[in-house]
Amino acid sequence: MSSFAIEEKHSVPGDLTTPETRTEDGGRRLGFMLTLPAQLLVLFIAVFPLLMQLYISLTDWSPLEGTGWWQAYELWNGFANYTDLAVDSRFWDALGRTALVMLICVPVEFLLGLGLAILFMDNFVGKRVFYSIMLIPMMVVPAVAGYMFFMLFQSGGPVNDIISTLIGRPFVLAWLSSPGTALVAVMIADIWQWTPLMFLILLAGLVGVPEDQMRAATLLGASWWQRFYTIALPKMKTIMIIALSIRIIENFKIFDTLFIMTGGGPGVATETISVYIYKVTQQDLIWGYVAAIALVILVVLSIVVSLAISRMNAAKEA
Amino acid sequence: MKRSLPFEVFRYAAIFLALAVTLVPTLWMVSMAFKPIAEWSATGADLTWWPKAPTLDNFRFILGTSTSDLIVALDRTAGKPILASLLSAVFGTLIAMTAGTAGAYGLSRFGSGQNLPLALIQLRLFPPMAVMIPVMIMWAFFGLVDTWWGLALIYGIVTLPFAFWLMKTFFDDMPREIEDAALVEGCSRMRVFLKITLPMMRPALASSALFVFILNWSDYLIALLLTTREWVTIPVYMASLSSSMTGQLYGAKAALGLIAAVPPVIMGIAIQKHLVRGLTFGALKQ
Repeated sequence: MSSFAIEEKHSVPGDLTTPETRTEDGGRRLGFMLTLPAQLLVLFIAVFPLLMQLYISLTDWSPLEGTGWWQAYELWNGFANYTDLAVDSRFWDALGRTALVMLICVPVEFLLGLGLAILFMDNFVGKRVFYSIMLIPMMVVPAVAGYMFFMLFQSGGPVNDIISTLIGRPFVLAWLSSPGTALVAVMIADIWQWTPLMFLILLAGLVGVPEDQMRAATLLGASWWQRFYTIALPKMKTIMIIALSIRIIENFKIFDTLFIMTGGGPGVATETISVYIYKVTQQDLIWGYVAAIALVILVVLSIVVSLAISRMNAAKEA
Repeated sequence: MKRSLPFEVFRYAAIFLALAVTLVPTLWMVSMAFKPIAEWSATGADLTWWPKAPTLDNFRFILGTSTSDLIVALDRTAGKPILASLLSAVFGTLIAMTAGTAGAYGLSRFGSGQNLPLALIQLRLFPPMAVMIPVMIMWAFFGLVDTWWGLALIYGIVTLPFAFWLMKTFFDDMPREIEDAALVEGCSRMRVFLKITLPMMRPALASSALFVFILNWSDYLIALLLTTREWVTIPVYMASLSSSMTGQLYGAKAALGLIAAVPPVIMGIAIQKHLVRGLTFGALKQ
């Protein structure tokens, strides 16, 4: 996410230059002292744990062994965890399911959010109140949102009741316990909760489009679509990328709502990557293997992100 | 910009539809929280959107002051989990804000800690589930498992990126003239930071702290992994409320969900001006 350029604004992620840096000794010492706590916390959570994770991932260690993690070398198995992972179909299925959820949820959230943001672009009666209400879902604790949708999707619950009313005959579907619909229900909950985030960010971007340019274009006879496409859209590009990046990253982690609604079931029908790792951690307790999965995900994510950042920087300089 | 009548009609229709979709799930939980046990799992023609006989029994039940008319007695009330959520979220916010504010000021004014911005974004990037094995081992080693202070520590680290980035953008936006004037007057830099900059930043500090608190309060996964019984937080406790013995305690869980949902919604609306800045790591301001 580094080096997004937004016109006339500084302090963008990865923008490390500060407007004015004073570097005489007193300032440098104080700066060091001030940044020390944050540095220590990062070290505490990043460096040592990663080394520990790497070490454990090369063993068969489990908390059930009764030996400390540092003695894990007694259960050394080389790269067996990694080769197991390559043929672990449950892992690959979970990864595929996570990708599927992302490929459906993120675009739907984006389009709905963009549509709503366009409707909120200019002033109308009730705008402020509607805007506040619209933001409620993303403020609701995700686990609680999961429980809300758990109730809504019960076979005797309100969703089926509404459908029955609409089609005029009783409609009964056990959404969360049928493999085909459980994932749909989970995605609906995700879309409900996170469309407001897209809406919020995209609206902030739309409002930032210079009004005089839009008005000038109107005077010149440009249609609404022309104005949107040629003036607003190019100015929104960075903001759209930010909004999409945030949702892609967060959606990949999907756990809370989903786990409350289905627990990953029925069977493994809604088992995403976080749920899969959780189950191996808490139920199977094979921590050596979990460490290997986690490390692979971390490495792949790091590569993807640094590629994305360098592509974006290259595009910016071009 | 003047818009045509059909557009206005379409706009209100679309917005009212969106509002309905937004509010129905929330209202269903609110309504459930006030339903007596007989209405919990009413279906078909008996299903009502509002409680026929509204009651506060569900709240009394989970808070342990009354078990009348309910099928089971809880082996523990929601009191301790609410306390656990509060303590861990408040102290987690305190850790994140202290380290984040100091670090952001150090970077913004003295150029120290150039590695922090990117390191912290990376910290946020990774799924918590992928870094929890070492954390669980370390927390067990230090005796931090199933304690509110152990949770507060990990919350402070997990939300540090947001505190740091938010405060960095606020410090970058702040005019330097006042600080410079105080320096000329002979104040030490530390004094300027503590006596002039921080008081001036009070609104920014408050918004950032509320934002970070909402994130901490919303956690489920970390508490699920790091607490077992004594200090489980509200979401973990809520999920444990149903069992094969008792079945789904719909109303009781809805009441608890309502208690959990209200604070962040109010806080979020209070700081909506800064939400975009917080969510985009300061890349965007409203």
